[in-house]
Amino acid sequence: MMLEVQHLTKRFGGLVAVNDVSFGVEPGAIFSLIGPNGAGKTTLFNVLTGLYRPDAGEVLFKGRRLSHRLPEHIAARGVARTFQNIRLFGAMTVYENVLVGQHAHVRYNYLDAIFRTFRYYRAEKRARVRAHELLDYMELNDRAFELARNLPYGAQRRLEIARALALRPALLLLDEPAAGMNPKETDEIKRLIRRLRDDLQLTILLIEHHMKVVMEISDRVVVLDYGKKIAEGTPGDVRKAPAVIEAYLGKGALEGAA
Amino acid sequence: MTPGWIIALIAAAGAGFGLALIAAPRSAWPLLGVFGALFACLSVRGWKPARFAIALALLLVVIPAAGVQNNFLFELVTQMGIFAAMALGLNIVVGMAGLLDLGYAAFFAVGAYTWAIFGSAQAAQFMSGDFPLAGWPYFYIFSALAVIAAALLGTLIGLPALRLRGDYLAIVTLGLGQVVRVLANNLDQPVNITNGPQGITPIERPPIGWLESLMGALGIDGGPALGYALFFYLLVLAVIGVVVLVNVRLDRSRFGRAWVAIREDEIAARAMGISPTRTKLQAFATGAAFSGVMGAIFSAKQLFVSPESFTLLQSITILAMVILGGMGSIRGAIIGAMAVTLLNIEVLKSFSDFLARLRQTGFVLDLGVVSFNFANLSDQVEPAKYERMIFGIILILMMIFRPSGLIPEARHRLEEGEQTEQMKATPAGKRRAP
Repeated sequence: MMLEVQHLTKRFGGLVAVNDVSFGVEPGAIFSLIGPNGAGKTTLFNVLTGLYRPDAGEVLFKGRRLSHRLPEHIAARGVARTFQNIRLFGAMTVYENVLVGQHAHVRYNYLDAIFRTFRYYRAEKRARVRAHELLDYMELNDRAFELARNLPYGAQRRLEIARALALRPALLLLDEPAAGMNPKETDEIKRLIRRLRDDLQLTILLIEHHMKVVMEISDRVVVLDYGKKIAEGTPGDVRKAPAVIEAYLGKGALEGAA
Repeated sequence: MTPGWIIALIAAAGAGFGLALIAAPRSAWPLLGVFGALFACLSVRGWKPARFAIALALLLVVIPAAGVQNNFLFELVTQMGIFAAMALGLNIVVGMAGLLDLGYAAFFAVGAYTWAIFGSAQAAQFMSGDFPLAGWPYFYIFSALAVIAAALLGTLIGLPALRLRGDYLAIVTLGLGQVVRVLANNLDQPVNITNGPQGITPIERPPIGWLESLMGALGIDGGPALGYALFFYLLVLAVIGVVVLVNVRLDRSRFGRAWVAIREDEIAARAMGISPTRTKLQAFATGAAFSGVMGAIFSAKQLFVSPESFTLLQSITILAMVILGGMGSIRGAIIGAMAVTLLNIEVLKSFSDFLARLRQTGFVLDLGVVSFNFANLSDQVEPAKYERMIFGIILILMMIFRPSGLIPEARHRLEEGEQTEQMKATPAGKRRAP
């Protein structure tokens, strides 16, 4: 298993945002988390990436314990993420954003930077070449030297993914990558996610509200509602599960439809 | 106008004002013109070697040539350099890493006391040995120690910064900055380390025999006062050069990027594998180090340090330089420091003198409807006394009309050549998996 989530629980005061959730993600899978608003999907992401400490349960990444570690350590281990409400470094250029993403892989110390040693040049050069490769891959190279905050919305989403890829992750967490996109852009995102998995051998954990995207590209889906896992399976299974229909459409929807 | 023309214009202005200043080293206008040319070298874009050459010519030829006739010039530019180094240091903490530090003068104090204690008889008060430590290597050794001491204190003061943000951090650093001043004020008991409020004097200066013989060879005779004025001018210039170089190099490394990333969005930075703890402490230590070295130089230059030199106003003044110049901008910090120092010890003073002269001569301003005799002007109207008010007004105006400073932070692009080389390395359209 690439990622194992075991009986994970996160409480905020009296609210149980994630309640005893367990699932496992196979390497190379596109795995989706869905659920109504407030179901605890983003909270779960924040626990996985170390921004929140779980109250109970464990997270294993490639068999090693990830819970209770600092976000920066988790990132350096190879878990990258994007954010639901885009969080770029707005005052930096597009290119620098991708360089920042490589922080953990650009290895030289303080004195190397001051004296511009061979190590500095080698690491920086490698980082630059890679930054351009990533920007090229995400079709952002012609905007490389613009400030990130000046990019249009869709390009900002792509830049966030490019920055996450700069970490050389094994597991990529995407938090609503298609939010606010028109049908054409949504289609592109869908193809992009598949391409990321196929080209880069990534495992992808996806939160998405666009059911079309989820149902078409996911290998497996987990449905959360009020912090609890109410269903898991292939997109086809999940679509038919009574608990899911109830969660999305309300009690009685099933009888009404029947 | 193309950059070439602008730079030719700057060169011409620099040469003109420079010659005027050498001819009349005591008049204010040529001096302002020379500084104007220096500002321009720092603020326009393009043709870097030419701008660099103009600035160097002004700093290494014009100002020394005028300065040997008028020591005050050296004093002024040395003061600017000391403040510029501090503004650069604070710019790393506040401008780049986004940590509001109101106790920055503390690092300057630590640097100053490091040399003051051992470069005077003071150290004999609490340890045995032969003090002051005269002789040429000691000052330089202790300047290096001042850097280390300030960086250590920076790390120490940075520790609370790890848990605090924004206003809370500002208040804590303000407090810690005061703690250092109060310590300097009170560490004359039980063991006399700092000599308390009386301060420490006299402080040794490094021997400058080589410079005096050089001046003698050039036929300049001004005695040790001029020699030291020139020495500290050159020393500060050299240190500023190093500080700028270190600052630029750090800025264009993973460290500088991490500072800005933490400022822009700490959570996103952490998700990119950047440790905020380490990054913030590095910013604090680096900023403090810049200030520490200038502290040591300051104490040797003044021959005297006392806790009064390291007040909150000092910290605020440096912050004002950073804000005026443009937060996060290296050139901005230098220009801010130059502008504020110039305003402080040259412009306001000249204006005060001007009003005093009008008052003495009883100049009558007659506007027809109202007329005013300057002899009746109150003694209280003296711009040099209104430094803080004038700063306040300038800062307010800046916030309204130019909130990102004189030279706003521009995240650097690659050098032109480099950029195209990289572009060629991965031609657009040929998309492959990275």
